[in-house]
Amino acid sequence: MTRIAVLDRARHGALRLKPTRELSRQRYALLGLSELATACSDFPICLAKDAQTGRFNLIALFSLEEPRNLFWLGDQWQATYLPQATTTAPFLLDAGAELGLAIDEDHPQLGREGVPLFEADGRPTQLLTDVRAHLQRVMGDVEAAQAMVDRFVELSLVRPLTMVLRRSNNTEHEIAGLYSLGARALAELSDDRVVNLYRCGYIAAASLMRASLNQMERLRQLHNASSNAQFAGLRVQVAESD
Amino acid sequence: MAVQERASHAGKPVREIVVVGGGSAGWIAAARIAARNAKGGDAGIAVTLVESPTQPTVGVGEGTWPTMRNTLAKIGVTETEFIRSADAVFKQGARFVGWTHGTADDAYYHPLNPPVGATELNLSPHWVTSQETPGCSESFAEAVDFQGALCNRGLAPKLITHPEYTGLANYAYHLDANKFASLLKDHAVNKLGVRHIVADVIGVEQMESGDILCLKLSNRQNLPGDLFVDCSGFKAILIGGVYQVPLRECRNILLADRAVAMQVPYPTPDTPIVCHTLATAQDAGWIWDIGLWTRRGVGYVYSSAHTTDQDAEACLRRYVGPAARDLNARRIDLNAGHRQVFWKNNCVAVGLSAGFLEPLEASALMLIEISMDSIADRLPRTRGAMEVLAKQFNETFDHHWGRVIEFLKLHYVLTQRTDTEFWRDNVNRASVPDSLLERLDLWRFHPPSAPDFPFAREVFSWPSYQYILHGMHYPTRYSELPTTTAERSAAERLLARAAALRSDALRRLPDHRGLLGKIREHGLQRV
Repeated sequence: MTRIAVLDRARHGALRLKPTRELSRQRYALLGLSELATACSDFPICLAKDAQTGRFNLIALFSLEEPRNLFWLGDQWQATYLPQATTTAPFLLDAGAELGLAIDEDHPQLGREGVPLFEADGRPTQLLTDVRAHLQRVMGDVEAAQAMVDRFVELSLVRPLTMVLRRSNNTEHEIAGLYSLGARALAELSDDRVVNLYRCGYIAAASLMRASLNQMERLRQLHNASSNAQFAGLRVQVAESD
Repeated sequence: MAVQERASHAGKPVREIVVVGGGSAGWIAAARIAARNAKGGDAGIAVTLVESPTQPTVGVGEGTWPTMRNTLAKIGVTETEFIRSADAVFKQGARFVGWTHGTADDAYYHPLNPPVGATELNLSPHWVTSQETPGCSESFAEAVDFQGALCNRGLAPKLITHPEYTGLANYAYHLDANKFASLLKDHAVNKLGVRHIVADVIGVEQMESGDILCLKLSNRQNLPGDLFVDCSGFKAILIGGVYQVPLRECRNILLADRAVAMQVPYPTPDTPIVCHTLATAQDAGWIWDIGLWTRRGVGYVYSSAHTTDQDAEACLRRYVGPAARDLNARRIDLNAGHRQVFWKNNCVAVGLSAGFLEPLEASALMLIEISMDSIADRLPRTRGAMEVLAKQFNETFDHHWGRVIEFLKLHYVLTQRTDTEFWRDNVNRASVPDSLLERLDLWRFHPPSAPDFPFAREVFSWPSYQYILHGMHYPTRYSELPTTTAERSAAERLLARAAALRSDALRRLPDHRGLLGKIREHGLQRV
């Protein structure tokens, strides 16, 4: 569970951060716009709704099932690229806070071991300064991705992604809740819009997103390599009409 | 020559559609016809709506059916836009309080969800049989569906992640009728190309056949048309004024003939919003209570033969409590009934001009919607085709209105109340349509089922009848009906499924006001 609180020197003065990261249960991560081209060489990149707002987020998918991460093997990240949003926990930006940060007090990386968050005199350590700069960079990039996704939504390009896994006993299992962009909807965009989107880099991004869906097959293979419950086949389809 | 003339008359294309009236009915009519016919077609359909600058809209009809989701989608209004602009909230059914005995614990739900597995098995006899087991006292609606549990806890029928117009439970809306009409007006004029004229209709010019050639407007304009949709409300300018089609009254069946209504603001901005219609029986009628985004709409529908206007208003004020002190009450005369024909010559009546029934089952907007489904989805291509379509329409809607009247009467005729004359008069056999009496006799021995209703699309289908009959403890002998082992185990499986759906829904669904706030802030997604 998480318990989010404004970072406060009185309350959190004694806390330290362990550098050991643990991502074994993380099924996906938010993706920044600048990360797309690199990330798509490892993961399927699709859209998923935020549970609190219903708005679409750009995400990199790490597993077919919750809660699992097929790229976390033997306590290590086993992929070419690590999406930056996975590196910011247990910190969050909080514009209203004195230090500009909030933390998840229940996060396992926080405790009595590791690097201190505050100096003995109560000043924030270099770690916090670095964390805030890092978070601002990552979240700025995520917001740029969000702006692109909002534009895709506005143009009605988003379509549900149907994924059906076939188990070895031939029963089927459907994965719901993922979305991508419709090929026909993209093809039917007017010339003006295409040029406009192209100049923003969004046409390239849309192509990468669609192409990255082939990585679903890699998720199936990684899944089968590490699980007894085998998936014999996978069908991925983006709906054409909305 | 005469034959040729008739032929050319019959072959005359229907292109100019004129809607009279700028209330909910008029704008739904104009928007449905324009959205379905005026864009992309080769028929060259043009829609004009003429609205009176002097005639106020009635502004009642604040409850919808689930059909409204389809209507809005067909018109091209997004659910987000609708919820934000019409102050709409979700409605998941109605709770009838005090209709059977008038005692404190007398209440039941008519949810919008059908019974679980309705297409597989009629659960009614199995529920009746289970009631004979000692200690088993789950109501019918509770046993076969989970929506009452959502209503009890004030939970929304959907999540913020559900796409527009879809949900976990079936749902309709409560809306602000005036804001709704202005949303539709903006949409129809700006997005669908409906021409809007503000003027009074002061007369018509008719052809020899009786068809309306054009409307004479107060701005001295003559407005010609091929089809006129009369949405002029109780004034019924064309169907009543021009064609003198009489009303078929049904006040001998439905006794209420007046209403007194009030708008009650919420005491605080975070007051929970009730997500069903409350219908509470009174001495001479019943009180509706519906939640909107910023206020409740409350009103007493009563029979003037059984109470006075003063007593009725006092009763409404007692119901509302101290909050009513500074509020105005507005009286509305109700004349229950419908036109003998709805479509006469090249004029069709939709909305209050077609008829009016008490809002017990929120049938007013629904009847407008299904009228427009018939009209807009098969807009006559020629004057000749109109003749046949009008005949079909009149037969269909005579049936539908009759069925609505019967279903409303069902709520009254099953009462066991004898405490006031109003309730005693309501069970007088002379006030009950024969077709309903006949079915009530049948339904003592056989549960309401699809074959009891002749139309493919009935406004109230057999599950609705079951919710009312069992909700009001109609005595049945269904436990004597033959059944098979396979049926019994299917029933058990379905009832268990209803329970599982309930716990899943209660775990996942958010607070009603909370979800509306999120929709107003973030919007819903189209997919």
